[in-house]
Amino acid sequence: MMPTPHRRDILRALAATGALAASPKLAFAGPAQGAARDLMVVVFQRGACDGLNFVGPAADPFYVEARPAELRVTEGDERPGIPLANGLDDKAGFHLHPEAAGLGDLYRGGQLAILHAVGLTTPSRSHFVAQDMMDKGVAREADIGRVPDGWLARLAAPHMTDGALFAAGSSPSLPLSYAGLPGAVAVPDVNAAAGLPGGPVMRQILGNIYPAGDGGTVPSAMRRMLDASLLLDARIDHLPDGKPAPYERAARYESAGEAGRALMAVARLARLDVGLELAAVDVGGWDTHEGQPGRFGTLTGQLSRALTAFWDDLGSRQATTTVIVMTEFGRRFRANRSNGTDHGRGGAMMVLGSTVRGGRMYGRWPGLGPDQLEDGVDLKVTTDYRAVLAEVLARRWSPADAARAFPGFASSDPSLGLIA
Amino acid sequence: MLSDDAALVALTKLAFGPDAESLTRVRRDGLAAWLDAQARPDEATDAPGHAALARVRLRIRYPADPDHQQWPATDEARPLALLAAGPDRLWPLNDKQQPYADPERNRPRQEVAAATIARAVSSRWQLREVMVDFWHNHFNVNGAGERAVGVLLPPHDREAVRPQALGNFRALLEAVASSPAMLVYLNNRSSRAGAPNENFARELFELHTMGRDAYLAAEHLHWRDVPGARQGNPRGYVDEDVYEAARAFTGWSISDGAVIAGRDRLGTTGQFTYVAAWHDNYQKRVLAEEYDPYAPPQGDGRRVLDRLARHPATARHVCTRLAERLVGTPVPPALLDRAIKTWTAGIAAPDQIYRTVRAIALAPEFTPSFGRKVKRPLELAASFVRASGIELGVTEGLVGELDGSGQRLFGWGPPTGHPEDVDYWLSANAARRRVSLIVGLADNAWGAGKLPVAAMFGQPRLPAGDALRRVEAQLLPGAALPDRTAAVLSPLGLDAGHQLDAEDPKARRLVAAVGLYPEFQLR
Repeated sequence: MMPTPHRRDILRALAATGALAASPKLAFAGPAQGAARDLMVVVFQRGACDGLNFVGPAADPFYVEARPAELRVTEGDERPGIPLANGLDDKAGFHLHPEAAGLGDLYRGGQLAILHAVGLTTPSRSHFVAQDMMDKGVAREADIGRVPDGWLARLAAPHMTDGALFAAGSSPSLPLSYAGLPGAVAVPDVNAAAGLPGGPVMRQILGNIYPAGDGGTVPSAMRRMLDASLLLDARIDHLPDGKPAPYERAARYESAGEAGRALMAVARLARLDVGLELAAVDVGGWDTHEGQPGRFGTLTGQLSRALTAFWDDLGSRQATTTVIVMTEFGRRFRANRSNGTDHGRGGAMMVLGSTVRGGRMYGRWPGLGPDQLEDGVDLKVTTDYRAVLAEVLARRWSPADAARAFPGFASSDPSLGLIA
Repeated sequence: MLSDDAALVALTKLAFGPDAESLTRVRRDGLAAWLDAQARPDEATDAPGHAALARVRLRIRYPADPDHQQWPATDEARPLALLAAGPDRLWPLNDKQQPYADPERNRPRQEVAAATIARAVSSRWQLREVMVDFWHNHFNVNGAGERAVGVLLPPHDREAVRPQALGNFRALLEAVASSPAMLVYLNNRSSRAGAPNENFARELFELHTMGRDAYLAAEHLHWRDVPGARQGNPRGYVDEDVYEAARAFTGWSISDGAVIAGRDRLGTTGQFTYVAAWHDNYQKRVLAEEYDPYAPPQGDGRRVLDRLARHPATARHVCTRLAERLVGTPVPPALLDRAIKTWTAGIAAPDQIYRTVRAIALAPEFTPSFGRKVKRPLELAASFVRASGIELGVTEGLVGELDGSGQRLFGWGPPTGHPEDVDYWLSANAARRRVSLIVGLADNAWGAGKLPVAAMFGQPRLPAGDALRRVEAQLLPGAALPDRTAAVLSPLGLDAGHQLDAEDPKARRLVAAVGLYPEFQLR
């Protein structure tokens, strides 16, 4: 590996000289090689995924009674769910949604762990309050205003590598969890992000209008965009006509929807070796108040196929990647008359990784009997979502990282034992 | 007379940027006079707006029906045809049994989006257009998700939002609550007694009226524990209020052909209907008020709207949202107080919203707040077109570009609407799309209108340095700018004295560069 000059200096030099046609790839020896940390991918199911339809206690009589068959996971119906060994309660007969076959395989293969009855320890049935609490990494609504930054931002801040694309979101915009981390970059489409409309001349003009180090919201944002664009353009392959070459992926993201497009961008960034160590992926559409069966099945199938393809696509980076799937809360235990479910409390979470002790469920199942529900209507939250995130971080990054991401959080429970 | 800056600020924030005419007016007559002239928009006198709508051409293209020959192959640049259409014309586009190719079914949203851009650029009633945009965001519906919402957008825009955009909030609230697009989007159309759908009721409280700061579920489980509840004036709301309000709105639905009971079905007109058989008739308690059983049709729901529209938390929430939009975050406390007082004093006035906007615009904190906000892509595009004098004929390409820019007109998923915070509009992706929007407009990439460079230069050719200063003065009149002569000209291979021809592609690049100045990104 050749000695790496200061990357930002290279970028600046490139921008100033307009030496863009030259191939500067060699100058960008990968910063992520030998990284001590996993690539951490946080998938957020925005809108509150119905955890009881995703992973359900198919044999629980309360469950069977409260919901029509198409709003729950069944054992022996026309479309039986996927049985899960090592569930939370043997009698409950936990099954995964039938559309999630790929996730079932990862679970059986021991790489995927599923948690249930997870969520916020203080109640909120507002999407936006609950999402803000989780994005900020806090457990009380009052802390949303007090804590300025997101938990991913706190996690990343001391590790940000100058000139590397350390933290990215693969949705068109960055989630609140990155708030306070100016270096994070939204890259929904790698090829698009590598190019710049107006070509090299416009790039130079913008480089002059927005010189590096210029303060202010707009200048620093434009500068970040220009830097990321140069970095990516230097890393991706180009066709003979100079256009970006299509991504040669190692897996087919077929019928994987928004989740597939976003995760494919993450896989590509991971494989480009641009220094990516943190990625946030937002997947919307889970707010199924009405007509849930079809919509939920589609979304679940897409997410399952997206995660499976992503995992295959990673190839050798599987060993140093951990994926966390979370949502703001679960949905109401009883269905409404629109064939949907309203806002609830406890939900499901997943952790995928080579070092995950998968093939089993985690958490404490509170039951679904009338006396076991929260406020009489919802699955209780028995595991703080931060316990899951903090444990994964402590083991795959460091305890100091976990403490910084979730200050003041001390799990009252013993370790979940998620990571081998 | 206002200073140059104050006129620029006002027209950047209360209009889609200055054009030559509005700038002259505000400078000559003052901001208050300009505002008052905008207070009661008269459709009949909006010739520039109508002309811009008439120039819209949205290409529509699809092959002949492969299975049943129900439609011929189509490829045409079609003018707007659905803006005035009623549900009888629109609702069949949602019906899979009807013979329409998908692009025809997507047409209503595309037309409303195109009309929004055309009006933002050209309508005389700029303040109304700014407020229509604000309310569409406040009462977000997603026409790119469920098709039923998309096909109902023309009447939603025309009848629910536009008439009261500067009017009375209570009237606006009911117009939106009974708008079929909203009833589909937040699922109230299928809400029935027994297990009502809570989606609309929750967002009504949290987003449309009282706001999340008034959601006190973290502190209180029961309504009676909310401070003030026992005196009949609860300070905020809890889940119990949402549940009860959901019951109050059961039966507010649309004629979508659903089964009422047995063989009895709703009609298929796509219009609002109240289904008495689905309404929960029994007594309710919302915000510490007792509702007697068996209210007249829509009585329970209207009572909830009355209560919410007059609640102090609603005044605070909606005024905060307005001020965040027009001024910036954090909202200056004195300005907010002034807005809330005006809002509350005008609670029954037919121009309650206008009065509030006026109070904000004339507050001493208004002009100094310039630059606290970043223009949204629609504002960026419209202000560029207005200042440069492009005669815009909106095309499908421009609508598509705006969709990709992060501002999906009538196509935003969550009910929050597009975020207010600056970070969203400046993500690396959004920043790049700003470049493509401005460069594309300058290059006429979407066939929406040629950049009139010669008119901007004032002559066919002039020294490049002078050209740059002329363009700067047109796009940012009255703004103090650093000298960027070398920054812009040297990458173009020009020096300040070089005679630049208006037809030279470099001249368009020069204009685009000014459109990408940091100062032009700000509001």
